[in-house]
Amino acid sequence: MIEILETPPLNAIQDLGRLGYRCHGVGRGGAMDRVALAAANALLGNDENAAGIELQLFPVRVRFAGDTVFALTGADCEARLDGRLLPPWWAMSAQAGQELVLSPPRQGLRAYLAVAGGIDVPEVMGSRSTQMRDGFGGLDGRALAAGDRLAAFPAPAFALRDGAGLGALPASLALAAADCPQAQPGETVLRVIQAAEYEQFDAASQAALWQTPWKVTAQSNRQGYRLAGVALQRLEPVEMRSHGIVPGVIQVPPSGQPIIQLADGNSAGGYPKIGVVIEADLWRIAQAAPGSALRFVSCTLEEARTAERAVAAYLGTLRRLAGYCRLPSLGKVA
Amino acid sequence: MNTGVVVLAEPRVSLCGSAALLLDAEGPMTLPTQERIWRLGDRVRDWEGVVDAQPGMNSLLIVLDPLEADPQALSARLLDVWPTIEAGRIRGRLLEVGVVYGGEGGQDLPDVAAYHRCTPQEIVALHAAPEYVVFAPSVSPGFGYLFGLDPRLFTPRRKVPVMRPVGGGVSIGGGQSNLGKPYVEGGPTMNPTGWHVIGCAPRLPAPFDLAKDPPNLLSLGDRIRFRVDRIEA
Repeated sequence: MIEILETPPLNAIQDLGRLGYRCHGVGRGGAMDRVALAAANALLGNDENAAGIELQLFPVRVRFAGDTVFALTGADCEARLDGRLLPPWWAMSAQAGQELVLSPPRQGLRAYLAVAGGIDVPEVMGSRSTQMRDGFGGLDGRALAAGDRLAAFPAPAFALRDGAGLGALPASLALAAADCPQAQPGETVLRVIQAAEYEQFDAASQAALWQTPWKVTAQSNRQGYRLAGVALQRLEPVEMRSHGIVPGVIQVPPSGQPIIQLADGNSAGGYPKIGVVIEADLWRIAQAAPGSALRFVSCTLEEARTAERAVAAYLGTLRRLAGYCRLPSLGKVA
Repeated sequence: MNTGVVVLAEPRVSLCGSAALLLDAEGPMTLPTQERIWRLGDRVRDWEGVVDAQPGMNSLLIVLDPLEADPQALSARLLDVWPTIEAGRIRGRLLEVGVVYGGEGGQDLPDVAAYHRCTPQEIVALHAAPEYVVFAPSVSPGFGYLFGLDPRLFTPRRKVPVMRPVGGGVSIGGGQSNLGKPYVEGGPTMNPTGWHVIGCAPRLPAPFDLAKDPPNLLSLGDRIRFRVDRIEA
């Protein structure tokens, strides 16, 4: 059991999202940084899709109401358990009554808190993730608030071999971003596959997409990131019919300033698509803060698949190594 | 300046990133073509590597498992299968929706009339005449994109989105017309849109209600008739 003592709005329960409900207009939703959530679950031996808490605004203070093991991944929030500083991407035991405090991130944007067994909320349309816009999933379809008490599913009791806990190599160190010689330090490099309307853009716009930085504006959230940079122009303005879109789609509205649709983005849209950020790089956007810049690198389907396999291998290795660090806790067998 | 919609001579499948394909059907939007799209969507959900499918207007989005699926092989299979899918009428339910055209809830009606060089009354008459069919799921659950707008009402979307009230807005964007979801207590009251809001349906039932089975007020193939309750200057 976790009790929320303090939280700003917009922090909510998420899993890896909904599949199979697009015919009702329901998109994937779920964690913005799917790799970080999956890694937190891997550290605990949870199902990869177990629900955790996505933290996007800070400070956050929670109290563990019972003994458990928890994992924190994603942004480095100087987490302290009863005042003791934890390394980022870390799992350890907590005793009943202990308090966990997270501060505004030193690096990254979104942190993920998972507990052994996963957060116990009802599945709605195959997922426990919170769809705030439509008010379902997670905890009654809403963000967490002080006073909320969250239960975890029962899990086989275990202890960590090392009382200090165990860590994971953060995804940003384990998974290489694409090469981009012109990228400046701190810029987020994303692999992009050209989309159906790429050829409709003029040569200067196509060149700008790959060669100039794209500033993440303050109008960036779970729905999408609005970017600022060179205005992208089509050769001819042609009306589009509304069509299904996926997280990662880079739409170009008539202003020429692109929008990347993300986890809570619309499931359909009518703006032309110049490209799509590959699935394996979406987590990098989740950690790119407003004010920072993105760089796009053209990518083939084969390169995308290689990147996707690297993510799967990273999570698989993490799950295996974490398994060695757990001991069945005989003392807790009823 | 060409603002018309591209009409393809041949069907086309394009990559939508590493984990989705988009099939654009040939020819203009028609009910028989859309019926084939619904059927193709039902068919492909069973294919290996496909995790979801979503009809669009004259298109189908196919969502893939990026580790399992072979997008190139699936593209070829889609183009093979598409011509063999036959149209078939789904006789959906009919929903009559009372609309107050113009006024505060339909503030873009005068501009749309000016664009088409006619009176607001003529726009309303053209808009309320046809029976619209729900062709594809819309941006949020419960409603859908509607087919049936009189081509004479084709109105290009705005270059810069404007803020318009949330709550049963009846709008035109390009060659499509749409019905927006009702206002939800505590939710946002304004919403950015590039569409032209010409009316408002003030007494709209909740489009998506998980307490009901099915949760959707409208499904693909269902029909909407707009009833003119009032035209405000």
